[in-house]
Amino acid sequence: MRRYQIIILAILPFLVSCEAVLFQEDLATTDPDANFEYLWNECNEKYSYFELKNIDWDAIKTEYSAMLYEDMTQDSLFNVLGAMLTELRDDHVNLASNFNVSFFGTEYLGQDNFYGRLIEDNYLNQSYYSSGPFAHDFLDNGAIGYVRFASFPGSVDNTNLDFVLDRYKDTKGLIIDLRENGGGAVSDVFKILSRFVEEKTLTNYSRIKNGPGRNDFSEAEPVYVSPSSGIRYTNKVMMLIDRGTYSAGSFTALATKALPNIILMGDTTGGGLGLPNGGQLPNGWTYRFSITQALTLDKSPEYENGVPPDIEAFFDWNDLTRDEVLDRAILELQ
Amino acid sequence: MIKIKFSIIFLLLIPLMGTGQDDEPIATKKELRKNRPTYRGTSLFGLGIGSFRDFATSPLIYSGISISSSRFQISMDTQRETEWGSSLSVGFFGSIFNDHTSFSTVISPAIYYSELYELKKLSSDKLNVKVGGLINVTSNVRINQGLLNNATGFELIPTLFGSIKGTLDVSRKKERSKKFLFFKYKLDKRKKTLALRLNTGLVNSSYRNGYVYAGQSALLNDPDVFDDYQFKVFSGFRMSSSLDYTLYSRKTTNAVQISYVWDAYKTGGDLDQFEMAQHALRFTLLFNTK
Repeated sequence: MRRYQIIILAILPFLVSCEAVLFQEDLATTDPDANFEYLWNECNEKYSYFELKNIDWDAIKTEYSAMLYEDMTQDSLFNVLGAMLTELRDDHVNLASNFNVSFFGTEYLGQDNFYGRLIEDNYLNQSYYSSGPFAHDFLDNGAIGYVRFASFPGSVDNTNLDFVLDRYKDTKGLIIDLRENGGGAVSDVFKILSRFVEEKTLTNYSRIKNGPGRNDFSEAEPVYVSPSSGIRYTNKVMMLIDRGTYSAGSFTALATKALPNIILMGDTTGGGLGLPNGGQLPNGWTYRFSITQALTLDKSPEYENGVPPDIEAFFDWNDLTRDEVLDRAILELQ
Repeated sequence: MIKIKFSIIFLLLIPLMGTGQDDEPIATKKELRKNRPTYRGTSLFGLGIGSFRDFATSPLIYSGISISSSRFQISMDTQRETEWGSSLSVGFFGSIFNDHTSFSTVISPAIYYSELYELKKLSSDKLNVKVGGLINVTSNVRINQGLLNNATGFELIPTLFGSIKGTLDVSRKKERSKKFLFFKYKLDKRKKTLALRLNTGLVNSSYRNGYVYAGQSALLNDPDVFDDYQFKVFSGFRMSSSLDYTLYSRKTTNAVQISYVWDAYKTGGDLDQFEMAQHALRFTLLFNTK
């Protein structure tokens, strides 16, 4: 029996050593240069908006790598890497550690255009309905419906959409308020839009990075919205947007450009039309950045810088009794 | 490194050694197949350790434990061995580095089919050596919420192995009396085998994510779980082994088996390789059905 034990003991180390040969070395490190190089390179090969934003990523590498030094603190390294990512001017780009998260802040590119409490106090009289993620009520003596949609939680369903649209089916128009809607689940976008089309409609195109070159993208794939079998709304719709309308909010705004019954009003959106990925650095921090481009019907990626409104309107912070953007939308529907 | 390369080449050539042997008459073959003892094996609980790394999302190695179960059927005698089965393991892996902790749950179903034939030149009454092949299809579903839109990872690893298996008869042929401290006890006759199997990947395929890992199907209003996935026939390398100690019942034809199973693979190419290794200890009940 001892002979067999010796054989087994001789074979097991062989197997474990095979595993060591198969795999690459452990790359975990807190070294500033290694982490900088890793993050810069990941963006360099996969980020989707260098050309549109006219970003010289090589020059940024030169600028920020000069800020690295041996034995720098984690906080200092985070500030360098986070600032480098901020150069991409994209809120789908973040660096996250257990002590800080970097961001760009597209909402600060324009004025604050939304004051929720004012609408509750002066328009809805604090007695509105909440149907899933939608807060809603009648305006203008029942002639107009107002629907506040503050985020895309992924929980939009046929029940709450049918209830909302059935309630306002006899109104002259509907206001959908997407101001300061920072986005969320893109599935909600199509569930909502399917209630405002009467036939299968091409809304935009999308393409994804498929190689390290600046222009290595897949073919532009068409995006269609088909009508829902549930209740649909066919009257005029005013969709309110601002710089805080981001990501799924901007996707919605982009799609409405192909829907003639929906008019965008307010300020340009924040953009965020690139799907962000997710990854981890050798020091354990995580990051994300955009890897796709949403394209307009003429296949331009320009709306990443913000989807412009059809009618501009701005909140007047000198008068905190009225929402000028909402007033203008009501006026359009009367 | 050279020794290991030599060992791998040697293992790759082993299946060829089974050719050129004298075949039995056809009628005898059929009889043998009909009368070949068959066992159904059930392993309800296996315990393992392992590690993986997916360069598409992280350069860090995730290590942890896994629990597994498996079911299989094996028909075997000294001349031939046919086995097919499935297994499911659930692993809890983590990376703890630089005060940052990340977790990944990995669910790995697998199916396999194997045929082995006796290598008479190396076999004897005591040692039975078989060579042949094994087809194994393993998949991993990995969930790591810290990776945001890349939180869910999936890969399919189909592999055609060349295999060699040596089974040593370690049966106790005679009763033996033993003493431990003040206790005397008797060891009855018992059929036992010790088997070592080595598998080396000959065709290492993979079905993995595309260039940027996530797909854009959700943005196209046409969700597809395998959006932008790519199948590569020759990609990477895989090795596995198992060491089985089988103890046959004195009263029935059933048996119990304790196994150490090792499996390691990596996908190929220059971009975003995936590496995984698992070591598992399994306890299996073998029920004789023929």
